[in-house]
Amino acid sequence: MAVGTFDSARPEGRPLEEIEASYRVPGRSTLAALVGVDPFDVWIGPFYLGFWGVVSGIGIVFGSLFYLYYTVFLGPFALYPANFFAGRLAPPPLSVGLGLAPPGSEGFFWQLTVFFATLAFLGWMLRQVDISRKLGMSYEIPISYGAVFSSWLTLQVFRPILMGSWGEGFTLGIMPHLDWVSNFGYRYGNFFYNPFHAIAISLFFASTLVLCLHGATILSAALKPDAGIDNITQFWWDVLGSGASEIGVHRLGFWLAIAAVQFANLCILTSGPLVGDWVRFWDWWPNLPFWAGS
Amino acid sequence: MQQEINPSKSSIDTGVGLRIGPTLDLPWLKGLAETRVRPLFLGFWAILSIITGGLFTFIWLAEMLRLADFNIVRYLRTFFVLQVDPPPADAGLSLLVPLEQGGWWLMATFFLTICILAWDLHLWERARANNLRPTVAIGYLGAIVLYLVIYLIRPVVMGSWAEAPSHGLKAILDWTNNVSVRYGNFYYNPFHMLSIFFLLGSTLLLSMHGATILATEKYGSEYELDEAERVGPGTERAQLFWRWTMGFNANAYSIHLWAFYFAILCGVTGAIGVLLSGDQPWQVNDWFQWGVRAGIVFPDPGGPQTGPEFPIR
Repeated sequence: MAVGTFDSARPEGRPLEEIEASYRVPGRSTLAALVGVDPFDVWIGPFYLGFWGVVSGIGIVFGSLFYLYYTVFLGPFALYPANFFAGRLAPPPLSVGLGLAPPGSEGFFWQLTVFFATLAFLGWMLRQVDISRKLGMSYEIPISYGAVFSSWLTLQVFRPILMGSWGEGFTLGIMPHLDWVSNFGYRYGNFFYNPFHAIAISLFFASTLVLCLHGATILSAALKPDAGIDNITQFWWDVLGSGASEIGVHRLGFWLAIAAVQFANLCILTSGPLVGDWVRFWDWWPNLPFWAGS
Repeated sequence: MQQEINPSKSSIDTGVGLRIGPTLDLPWLKGLAETRVRPLFLGFWAILSIITGGLFTFIWLAEMLRLADFNIVRYLRTFFVLQVDPPPADAGLSLLVPLEQGGWWLMATFFLTICILAWDLHLWERARANNLRPTVAIGYLGAIVLYLVIYLIRPVVMGSWAEAPSHGLKAILDWTNNVSVRYGNFYYNPFHMLSIFFLLGSTLLLSMHGATILATEKYGSEYELDEAERVGPGTERAQLFWRWTMGFNANAYSIHLWAFYFAILCGVTGAIGVLLSGDQPWQVNDWFQWGVRAGIVFPDPGGPQTGPEFPIR
């Protein structure tokens, strides 16, 4: 009987109760390692709590509360039979700079929501560290979560600080954040001409390709009694000349996904502080000295 | 490899074709890929794919060289912006156009399409010859559907080859930008939203799965075919990690189902989104207005306060 919800394959192995009992042992959390005692070292249903779970939970509850209060009770639901997609929570005006928007002014709820969301993401990452430690795993999962957390920090903290105003952060809300992305691209000329954007998109497509190839490769032989790893190895020898090894494909995927997000961060961070117009950015290219006379 | 060499599971080298290429040992690939490189198998479909792919590449590069007046330095300087255009809009779906006004584009696109389809059949044939399910070929279909809609199906249903992108590096980016702007901003196209969701979701799944296996490597979780049949200590930990983190988890088999379908749906939903954008009666010609009617656009306080009306187009 498999652990978890998707047990269509029903592999052999120990039952869930026995597995859980052998791994749910106290200790090893970051708080236990630092101060010797961790009062939050408990499970709630299937969830591990932990000190960082408490931190993250506070961020999730208050971040959601402020966001929903603004968009549902003060937002378009109050004046328009719209749905959840239209809800919009804008950052403070540029004139607020890097200060705090006073209560009641525009951007107050945005600042509260962004603060608690950041707390939620940070707590979630460190809770993954706790769970990794408790299970005797290395830290690749919190590291890859940290890669996407760095995107949030880049958009909502680092770039606004570089530009000198919280108003540079992105508008929260499902359609409004799409509007923000669209407007941002054309505000800096055209993001299709941003080389870091191009590299990031290529890496996102490459990640999707690798995910598809890996999933399809395992599914081509999994639970097929007359096929095994040798058939897979020979298949990739036939069509590619070589092929990723069992651990290698996971190493490739881990780094591809992280690289995609880091290049996405670069394409945001350079727009504004370094480059104002990505179309005119390329003016240096045709004027390189070795093209002279062509 | 933990798995024993079982004669019934060893590869079945069937099929008519050539084995071409060197046998090399590349030790620096260790930890990433098979360190032994072995000859490719080239059957009918592979040879057809390589020849048509070569013809496409030659026509594309040679026609761009002509556009640069056969000046190599100008060719390199303008390589990223040179493009081979499809026939003009007034030529409709005609296949009888002058070579320099879309004829080369038609020929190149014909060979590119044959190349892509033949490679899929090659993947299918090799999977069958090696006693595997043809899932890699099916996964590739997700990308092929998007290609066929953009270059073949949508131009045909809209009645003009000019709807397809030019062949060129900057040209692809410009086509993507222009099709979005022309049809009222693709950010409001719900199938574009789904495609982006599956694109970023695939990257997320890849990073979650890759990180999970790397984090449990010392317990042998990377031997996924074995783990799918019998859960070992690595997969026990990997599954408990996600159960404790988010309340549920996949297993060594089902995570690859998630991966497979997320990646395929990126291409398939993207294809639907492109196909639905256009000026035909059944297509949407302004996704922003569609969004306004669907009630998903933040209302303009000064504008008309209208509610959602379905059916929407």
